[in-house]
Amino acid sequence: MIPILGLIAGIILGLVLQPGVPDFLQPYLPIAIVAAMDALFGAFRAYLEGTFTDRVFVVSFISNVLIAAAIVYVGDQIGVGSQLSTGVVVVLGIRIFTNAAAIRRALFHA
Amino acid sequence: MLYSRTGGGIVKVTGVDAHASADGRRARHAPDASMDLLKQIIEQPVDPDYAAVAARQPDRRKRDTNRSRLAFAVIIVVIGVLFTVAALQTTRSRPAAAKERDQLVARIKSAQTSRDAMRQQADSLAAENARLRSNGLGDDAEDQQLRQQLAGLESVTGAGAVTGPGLKIVVDDGTGAAGDNQVLDVDLQVLVNGLWQAGAEAIQINGQRLTALSAIREAGQAITVNYRSLTGPYEVDAIGDPDTLQARLLETSAGPWWNSLKDEQGMRYDVSTSSELHLAAVPGLTVRSGRTR
Repeated sequence: MIPILGLIAGIILGLVLQPGVPDFLQPYLPIAIVAAMDALFGAFRAYLEGTFTDRVFVVSFISNVLIAAAIVYVGDQIGVGSQLSTGVVVVLGIRIFTNAAAIRRALFHA
Repeated sequence: MLYSRTGGGIVKVTGVDAHASADGRRARHAPDASMDLLKQIIEQPVDPDYAAVAARQPDRRKRDTNRSRLAFAVIIVVIGVLFTVAALQTTRSRPAAAKERDQLVARIKSAQTSRDAMRQQADSLAAENARLRSNGLGDDAEDQQLRQQLAGLESVTGAGAVTGPGLKIVVDDGTGAAGDNQVLDVDLQVLVNGLWQAGAEAIQINGQRLTALSAIREAGQAITVNYRSLTGPYEVDAIGDPDTLQARLLETSAGPWWNSLKDEQGMRYDVSTSSELHLAAVPGLTVRSGRTR
């Protein structure tokens, strides 16, 4: 229940407050979102497998976002930022698809 | 999808089989060793810590403390805010980008207008200059001679308009696939050089008179003469003896060059004689660094 309510609350909060993102964080926003989606799908799959833990989720989300942002930051500094963000998106995207497929199998047995 | 090369060829291996034979394969040489990273991503998509913590504390309710639950809720809210902010930003920045482009277009247009106005002003000032200069010259023999000399120099250099018989050559890009059948700056250069060689006295391209300071060059996608971009079809007017100009042009390198362009690339190359051509002047020709000796 918490995740759905939390997501809705977050979306409403974002719509109401409409917070601006500082310019230096702008390039990392899409990467952070892909990392967040990866963490969410992974958490949901773990939940279906009965192994979900809040603490692991918090730690894995924060570390995912930080590492993804750090990779993109380093890439920006050495001039391959867009390539590295593509790499991050590909890796996380594969994980999201795999987890989504596992979730689908677990939920619908299909 | 995993593939395994066996004696008969490539056989598809399902995920279950791959797992089952994983140990056996490790002993031999793993055929997909070079794809280890991809394999790892696909086979371990969930953070292994979930399983580790669950193994340590099988009772689900004891795993979560109030603090970790609060942190979880906060993170979930943060994720929701992230989604909204990103979505809002993309939808909001789209009209902003379009607006920026429109502003740039408007600025280019106003700069073009002001450039045209300044050009007109320069032209009228140059005309005024010419008028004042000829007014300043009197009617005695010496001034008459000076005036004649001035007129001759002006028509030769391109500072004065000239009228006379000559050739009118219209060239244009060939039809068909774009690329190798476009009129290039070098084509016009060859043509103009040929015309000079054939005895032309004054030449203009699309109304741009070639002066002692003119260059024919490619700037961006357009051919530029006197810093003005021209578009096809290009009309090259050359004043000269209409009886000999065309024949002599054929003898220069421009003749074969353009005939082959016409025959092989399908470019337009129409030459016609004209009894009266009007060639424009380029006013305000000045030499700034050099001095008259």
